[in-house]
Amino acid sequence: MNSLKIFLNSDVVILNSQRSFSSGNFVNPLKLPSPSFPTKYHSISASTPPLTTTAAAAAASSHMAGPTSDDDRISRITSAIRVIPDFPKPGILFQDITTLLLDPVAFKDTIDLFVERYKDKDISVVAGVEARGFIFGPPIALAIGAKFVPMRKPNKLPGPVISEEYSLEYGTDKIEMHVGAVQTGDRALVIDDLIATGGTLCAAINLLERVGAQVVECACVIELPELKGRDRLGDKPLFVLVS
Amino acid sequence: MFAEENGLHGDPRIKAISDAIRVVPHFPKPGIMFQDITTLLLDPKAFRYTVDIFVDRYRDKNISVVAGVEARGFIFGPPIALAIGAKFVPLRKPRKLPGEVISEAYVLEYGTDCLEMHVGAVQPGESVLIVDDLVATGGTLSAAIRLLERAGAEVVECACVIGLPLVKGNWRLNGVPLYVLVEPRLDDLECTL
Repeated sequence: MNSLKIFLNSDVVILNSQRSFSSGNFVNPLKLPSPSFPTKYHSISASTPPLTTTAAAAAASSHMAGPTSDDDRISRITSAIRVIPDFPKPGILFQDITTLLLDPVAFKDTIDLFVERYKDKDISVVAGVEARGFIFGPPIALAIGAKFVPMRKPNKLPGPVISEEYSLEYGTDKIEMHVGAVQTGDRALVIDDLIATGGTLCAAINLLERVGAQVVECACVIELPELKGRDRLGDKPLFVLVS
Repeated sequence: MFAEENGLHGDPRIKAISDAIRVVPHFPKPGIMFQDITTLLLDPKAFRYTVDIFVDRYRDKNISVVAGVEARGFIFGPPIALAIGAKFVPLRKPRKLPGEVISEAYVLEYGTDCLEMHVGAVQPGESVLIVDDLVATGGTLSAAIRLLERAGAEVVECACVIGLPLVKGNWRLNGVPLYVLVEPRLDDLECTL
């Protein structure tokens, strides 16, 4: 019998020369009410950032009418985020966006708020930082017709990459981008779920600028203003939904 | 099953998707032909086709949860979830998810690895779609299925952009059907027959 041994990504697969296919078979799922995932939250204390750099501030100053106001959407998004104390270590209040992803209306509102802001800004690249930037970046990219470029931890991207090192509290880390993914003249957005010290976002900005792209803005769901990440971005604007 | 054998025969989107995927030889180690979907993501039309095909298949199936396997499942899962109005649940490597999790171990060529899901993210009786970029041996997807079944959910299907039947003719994993858009490409492969 002919068989082909091939290696797919990280696994070995033995492929036989003949295949037959059976058609898919859907079991009609039993529809049960689904109680909402418990969300413990603190409301994140509002700082007073410069105008129009948070969606809430933009809503306050905008003349946009409509009952599903930006305020209502921001409020629902804020409520959907869960705070987990002492993760990954004692003293840290972790902002958990997974509960936001369990609320389809709030998740859609999150994406819509970004898309509304960027759809007429000629953005050609949405760069998302691994891994939670992979959740928010692609839906935005799809909606505005931009390329999505993943910014990854070392040794994940196959083929030639460029790397940028950045400081952590203790030590350094690196993010990588594919050579050729982004060109001179590309207008880029950088997306992550949260900005803390701004170290990761700065590294992402540097990678994009090194290949000649223009970083138009950084966009995050959450900002931790006390960590002053916004200042670390220098002249690059930052837009956040919840601060 | 392959999309082409299941309602999408001759659909030009399938070829556009396949052509947009890059094969990187000898990554992560010699002999492996890595199927790189990042080039698909650089082609907004082809990326859109990918999501649309899955959304068309799943929108009327009463799926309440899309579970995506870290990390490339995070790229394809959320757009599908958003379009069909389902929750998105990330299945992650150990110690990434904060709070209470359930874990499922699975076997690699050398050693084992582990997939985690939040307690409470999925309720008993929910119907779930699992999404990843590629299926090879099915080890990761099997672990994902087990996690969801332990939470009492019903896994309706596993959807991948790239893959092969696990064994000749077998398109089921732990009894769950597998739906795949394109085969892996074997550019420059030397076959041992």
